[in-house]
Amino acid sequence: MRGFLAIYRRELGGIFMGPLAWTLLVIAYALQGLLFLVYLKTSQGDVDLALRFAFGESWAFWALAALFPPLLTMRMISEESRMGLLEYLLTAPVTDVAVVLGKFCAATTFMALVWSAGLLHALLVMRAGVTPDWGAVWGGWLGAVLVSGLFCATGLCASSFTNTPVVAAFGSIVAHLLIVILPLLAALTEAEWIRAAIARVDVVDHHKASFLVGVVDSAYAGFFLVWTALFLFVATRSLEARRWR
Amino acid sequence: MRAVISVQQLTRTYGAHKALDAVSFEIAKGEVVGFLGPNGAGKTTTLRILAGYLPPTSGTARVAGFDVVRDSIEVRKRIGYLPESVPLYRELRVEEMLRFHARLHGMDRGRTEQRVAAVLEQVQLTERRRDLVGNLSRGLRQRAGLATALLPEPEVLILDEPTSGLDPIQRIEVRSLLQQLATRHTVIVSSHILPEIEAVCPRVIIVTKGRIAADGTRDQLLKQLGDRSYVRIEAVVGPDVAKAKALLGSIEGVSEVVDKGRLGIHQCFDLVCSTDLREDAGAIAAARGWALRELSWRTPSLEQIFARIALGDGEIASSSAFDAAMPAEPGAAARVELSPLVTLGQPAPAVTVKPAAPTKIVYNLNPFDAGAGRDLGKPKAVDTPKPPTNP
Repeated sequence: MRGFLAIYRRELGGIFMGPLAWTLLVIAYALQGLLFLVYLKTSQGDVDLALRFAFGESWAFWALAALFPPLLTMRMISEESRMGLLEYLLTAPVTDVAVVLGKFCAATTFMALVWSAGLLHALLVMRAGVTPDWGAVWGGWLGAVLVSGLFCATGLCASSFTNTPVVAAFGSIVAHLLIVILPLLAALTEAEWIRAAIARVDVVDHHKASFLVGVVDSAYAGFFLVWTALFLFVATRSLEARRWR
Repeated sequence: MRAVISVQQLTRTYGAHKALDAVSFEIAKGEVVGFLGPNGAGKTTTLRILAGYLPPTSGTARVAGFDVVRDSIEVRKRIGYLPESVPLYRELRVEEMLRFHARLHGMDRGRTEQRVAAVLEQVQLTERRRDLVGNLSRGLRQRAGLATALLPEPEVLILDEPTSGLDPIQRIEVRSLLQQLATRHTVIVSSHILPEIEAVCPRVIIVTKGRIAADGTRDQLLKQLGDRSYVRIEAVVGPDVAKAKALLGSIEGVSEVVDKGRLGIHQCFDLVCSTDLREDAGAIAAARGWALRELSWRTPSLEQIFARIALGDGEIASSSAFDAAMPAEPGAAARVELSPLVTLGQPAPAVTVKPAAPTKIVYNLNPFDAGAGRDLGKPKAVDTPKPPTNP
């Protein structure tokens, strides 16, 4: 795909050139490190349980997953549109899909780095003499990356709808919180069909039921990939629609 | 010659607003064309369509033989586009920005380094190649933008207001750079500043209200639109102005005599004609013993033609351009009247501006009239308006 790699490299470089990325990394690593110690203590030394907490069983994971992607993606299209950079990119010989995918992959790569704190913790406990369940660790990490990918896609989508980064961030944070609390809403209703409908789109459950237990099920992976592709498709269409406005 | 840019019936609407209305033109290979028009005329919209950024609502545009909508990527490979806002990544260094642009164009490393060095040299930014784009001045950023546009050696350079926001020195620099580029590329430059276009572009397309109002070389436009050239004569013609006007109108070649009114003791006429008839008018003045103050031949400049087209003014361009800055009649200044009662604490009274009544000015060249010391250059008596009296 023409121009994808160039855009991906520039976006990733752009993320790390600003102070925001480093601030987010420091917060993420410090918080995850602290919480890992707490999980170890509360699980009475059960490393696998503590790692499950780190990769999706805890509120802290979902808070980071919901909040970080919008902060990364909010500027990616809206700010560039406001600064005229989108005009520059879209008159270069690259497709709109390459522009959206390059930005998406850069944001997701950063989130993969954020979740690598869990891998680091697993390495550390292994050096201390306890071998973790590496299948579950890698599964949990992969699931976390897929969840973040989905949230980066929704963040990009929001960013393509507006020229104001703050509005884009706010919109996608609200959307992510709704996604995360969806299982709680299911608990409030007795209607079976609503519960079934929510279960089909429940991101939290899809992550916990498969990746977190070390099973990389293609159906579950497909769930995340399809939803991510759908939001990226909408973002691309929205980018194209800007030309008609 | 083969048309590199071909635009047919191009229309673009934004909601109910028609930014471009059935615009058609062609630009041959190697031509340098100025796209001239007032703000909001449709220049940027046209250039954005040519650059593949905006699709037209209807009509077609082809660049280097490729349709800008269907073969957008092919078009974008062949153009160097510099938007008015000069969008560059502020956090990148100049050479990093250029390398990124090279990667977007799929250049290999060797060619990238060669082209980066070449364009930096061309825009004289080699010394500043390590500077952050965000730290460059407006003029240097403009040059960096030009370097970016030039990097892939495009067939067509599309430059939208390349001197906008620059100081006079920077403008001259960019203008001379454009003159260099004109020898190697097909260039289309938009601007609303005519001297820039005149300096760089042999051919000018004037757009206004989304339509092409004029298209041609400077000389063609002057011939096509500046046909209302005229001889201006200011002379003391005596009391029978109508007779003098008729006499001047009898000169062969004069299509119309416009009485511009009295300026002091002199009567001013514009003799509309296509050739210089100053000798004929001068001969009549000499024969009739008229004292001449002015006898001149005036043809509208490109700037006046542009002003006339932009303003939609059908009158002689000079009338608007030259005379607009002068009051129509001497002493005909507007008079401001204030309401008689002004009380503190109350809202300020409305100020009404009324056109002043024509003031009669009387000149008398007799030095003994009203004293020998009188300045003959000034009117003998001026009926000045009486100041308003407060009750």
